[in-house]
Amino acid sequence: MSTTTDTAPPTTPPRRRRRVSRGDLAMQAGLAFIALPWIVVPVWLLVVNSLKSYEEASLLDLSLPSEWRFDNYATVFEEGNYGMGLFNSLVIALPTLATVIVFGSMAAWAFARSQRVSMKIAYNMSVLSILLPPAILPTIYELQVLGIDGSRLGYYLVLVGTRLGVVVFLATGFVRAMSPDIEEAAAIDGASKPQIYRLLILPSLLPVLLVGGVILIITIWNEFLFALFLLRGGERATLPLGLFRFASAAPEVASFRWDLVFAHVTLTSLPIVIVYFFVQRRLVQGLSEGAVKG
Amino acid sequence: MTSTTEAPAGRSEAPASSVRRRLRPGRADRRWWPFAAPTIVLTVAFFILPFLLNIYFAFTQWTGFSSVIAPNGLDNFRNLADSGVLWTATRVTVTYAVIAMLLQNVISLGLALLMQNTSPVNSFFRALFFLPVLISPLAAGYIWSAILEPQGPLNAVIGLVSPGFDHAWLGDTRTVLASVAFIDVWKWSGIVTLVYIAGLNAIPQSLVEAARIDGAGAWKIFWLVKFRLLAPAFTFSVVVSFLGALNAFDIIQATTRGGPGSASLVLNVALYRQYAGGFFGNASAISLTIAALVVVLGVPLIAALRRRELEG
Repeated sequence: MSTTTDTAPPTTPPRRRRRVSRGDLAMQAGLAFIALPWIVVPVWLLVVNSLKSYEEASLLDLSLPSEWRFDNYATVFEEGNYGMGLFNSLVIALPTLATVIVFGSMAAWAFARSQRVSMKIAYNMSVLSILLPPAILPTIYELQVLGIDGSRLGYYLVLVGTRLGVVVFLATGFVRAMSPDIEEAAAIDGASKPQIYRLLILPSLLPVLLVGGVILIITIWNEFLFALFLLRGGERATLPLGLFRFASAAPEVASFRWDLVFAHVTLTSLPIVIVYFFVQRRLVQGLSEGAVKG
Repeated sequence: MTSTTEAPAGRSEAPASSVRRRLRPGRADRRWWPFAAPTIVLTVAFFILPFLLNIYFAFTQWTGFSSVIAPNGLDNFRNLADSGVLWTATRVTVTYAVIAMLLQNVISLGLALLMQNTSPVNSFFRALFFLPVLISPLAAGYIWSAILEPQGPLNAVIGLVSPGFDHAWLGDTRTVLASVAFIDVWKWSGIVTLVYIAGLNAIPQSLVEAARIDGAGAWKIFWLVKFRLLAPAFTFSVVVSFLGALNAFDIIQATTRGGPGSASLVLNVALYRQYAGGFFGNASAISLTIAALVVVLGVPLIAALRRRELEG
């Protein structure tokens, strides 16, 4: 992972460390002021109310629980089928991500280097999938014909087919900006195309694949529309689908069971927040330096 | 990176002639197909083909009650128009997308201006404001429907000024659409903000300095220098937030399911209702309507913003 050198900040002149000016302080105070209702209150509301009793959580206030109900989380595991949802989300999201990253970066290299018109058309087709909405009903029809309707395999294939465009779009632009000299030198030295891809292209693409990969894992992990249409039967539900069914199925009360819904939301969001914690620096840096230029 | 050129074990000890052959465009280009093929096959099979089939299915009699799919001309659209769903849902969807796009870009650009300078404090804030991007739109919907409940925290704060305030933000036809659009904005603002920060930091500092020396105030510098040079980031954010909102579903399904009445009935929710009722032809017709909206509204929008970039 020697790629950090590639993402070194662009040549900003070594600015003298300014003292923190009054303007900066005002802006930071402003940010803190905005962050309070924007981030802190929603997160706090979510966590404290997930640890309250049903009656107390229904008040939807920001006070600490009068009695801490950690067993809400056990209830989510049992009645909300959290374990099964986590399993399904993992066995779908990880292969989807791996497939999209590998196939997408391979295709991006081809799209960036080939001069053929047919390749240009193929590139535009796959990028189109970012902007155009997916056609759900024919997708179901097609999966029925293939005999994999309602299965995890069908859902996986549809996710891959509709997400490849993101990696193709990001990585093709990246490869176009790279000089082909090293690849050509390697080819003259007798390296095969698969070798050049594996040893040269893939490592150079790592920064953009990291950013693309994190955006993808967030959207795949949270995917709900296709899951609702394509995954039938409780035993195949991913976490968002499980959360929706769990929240919708509260026949005994008029509103939501806020205590349990909040516990489920917390548990469903946790895996991604943990992943984010580890890649946060490079992701935010990568994005704010313009990995997603239009 | 010379280690990468190590001789491939025996297999393709390429003689000079084959190397030259490989470099000639025609033949060399054919070797790209193995790399592009998996992507092309999967995209065509699970995106392009369903998209094309949808154009056909939208004009067929196709229900869950019969296995026959028969062309029926414009009947699906006529049915949907007669019941009022088509027009209502289209109007609601476009209104929702416009509100979400405007709010999204104003708020995210504002946050970007505040966090533009790279400093440890701002890195912390950037990471913090990114948090909503991580959670599922469903989860965002549940959290905000709690905050917006009549007895929820928002009304509690307003109640400090105006005691007894108990407006049902999601239960009132006048506020529901703006409220769900706001949740959408909240969910995605983190990423749009970072796109704007990238755009702002790509503006040459010298131009801003020059304007300042010429006596331009903060507002003039923003409006006449920064905002114009921000055009690519602006185009990207406006297009993505607008077209994304035309496809809205998750947040509305989690909060209002299209209600009250049909005040937040976006096209995708209408599509789901038709599907759940077994009217697959009608659902396809709605799906085609969304695609048509994306093209009819998206293409001129992109063209106009691109033109503005060039003039800027």
